[in-house]
Amino acid sequence: MKTAFVKYFFRQALTNIADNRMVHLVGIGTIAIAFLIFISFILVYVNINHWTDELGKSLTMSIYFKGRPQSIEVEEIKKELINIQGVTIDKFVSKEEAMEVLAKELGDKAGLLSGLHENPLPASLEIIFSIADREDSLPYSIKSKLEKMDIIDEVQYSQEWTRKIKAIMGGIKLIGSILGGLLFLATLFIITNTIKLTVFARKNEIEILRLVGATNLFIKTPFLIEGSIQGLLGGLAALMILFAAYMTVIIRADFRIGFATLDIVFISPFLTVFLLLMSVIVGFAGSSIALGRFFRT
Amino acid sequence: MMIQLFNVCKSFGPKNPAIVDIGLKIEKGEFVFITGPSGAGKSTLLKIIFCSEKPTSGNALVNGINLNRIRERELAFLRRKIGIVFQDFKLLPNRNVFNNVALCLEIAGVQYSIIRKKVHQTLRHLGLAKKERYYPPQLSGGEQQRVAIARAIINNPLILLADEPTGNLDPDLTMEIMAVLREINERGTTVLVATHSQELLKNTGKRIVTLNKGRIVK
Repeated sequence: MKTAFVKYFFRQALTNIADNRMVHLVGIGTIAIAFLIFISFILVYVNINHWTDELGKSLTMSIYFKGRPQSIEVEEIKKELINIQGVTIDKFVSKEEAMEVLAKELGDKAGLLSGLHENPLPASLEIIFSIADREDSLPYSIKSKLEKMDIIDEVQYSQEWTRKIKAIMGGIKLIGSILGGLLFLATLFIITNTIKLTVFARKNEIEILRLVGATNLFIKTPFLIEGSIQGLLGGLAALMILFAAYMTVIIRADFRIGFATLDIVFISPFLTVFLLLMSVIVGFAGSSIALGRFFRT
Repeated sequence: MMIQLFNVCKSFGPKNPAIVDIGLKIEKGEFVFITGPSGAGKSTLLKIIFCSEKPTSGNALVNGINLNRIRERELAFLRRKIGIVFQDFKLLPNRNVFNNVALCLEIAGVQYSIIRKKVHQTLRHLGLAKKERYYPPQLSGGEQQRVAIARAIINNPLILLADEPTGNLDPDLTMEIMAVLREINERGTTVLVATHSQELLKNTGKRIVTLNKGRIVK
């Protein structure tokens, strides 16, 4: 395409935006709100995904004993486990040691523990799995075998948590997809109508352009650029608002599950670029629909 | 042959014929006046040649192209070869004189440096050099008419259609505009001027086609 055309198209698009700045401002604002809702969902999704990934990295199993186990009983279990490929014994935590760890974690509130008549914490054996495939059935077979033993009270496997969270994520994904779809349509509708307004305001101009020999593509292109700019600015505003909110939240908040601190991550640069591109595509599509209707009539 | 009309009819509703069974041939480089009273069909005839109206029946050929079979894109390119001066000027009120005249060149993708040169030249030629930055509503009827002519001739068109081009002008300006049209014609452009002014037709030495109630009567 000739550079003279490109210059003309962008100049026209920017002049159109400047001439109808109020209509465009309202349009961009509405797109930004719709987009903000959508990307907020994405941010929640990205973070839950991040947390499950983090949890999933350490595939640990905690074997809790009933009462106070004899060291020979513990050694027997250790011997049995150590022979299984992919299993490493991390440590044995006695009831006393468990209490010490808890007191340490409670810090200056540890005094609360002195009111206890007996130590309610169980002794446990911590084991680590080095399994390439996280869906490996080995930990589950070990778990069910251990749970049948009389001296074992409970067995907790970390992967179970990630599984539960992943099930919740499936729900979030579904809601996000439906909401995303609806917001996509809403954004498309807003852009279509904004561009339609500017197209109708320039009905005479379009007619004159046709009469002096402009092709449809020549007439349409500035409007398509206009819609794309509108989409881009709406998307950019939404991302900036979300980033500002994110910065405020990570400075002030301290998210924890139990004693584990959860760090909040922002949408990755790649996803940010993708979302911006999507906002441009929505803007372009909205303009195309508006122009299609106008040029058909 | 630049323009050929074969039994062209155009009606706006069953009892409202605008032109009836028109047959007309205009050679390349001819200067033709289309005349007749108001409602005779002069503007409709120009609109058919310009393809802003399709004939109800018959065929119209412009530069060898049958307008009944022309595609959207071909039409745009054909219009770039036809300059037209509308009775109501059809200038863009939100663009200044320079940009109104530059429009036809922008559409053709001409470089800005060339556009600037050609627009200055044409406006100077039509006595509008000092009005370049004015907007159409700030101009008189005669000045707007000249801007419309400048836009129509800037591309050196094959055909120039002018619908009442001197309708808003005083006698002096009328003579000036006619001189411009003659000059364009001398450069090889086929010129068709629709006018009801009998004054304009005196001693022209050009071909005159007279319409009445949509038919060629002379």
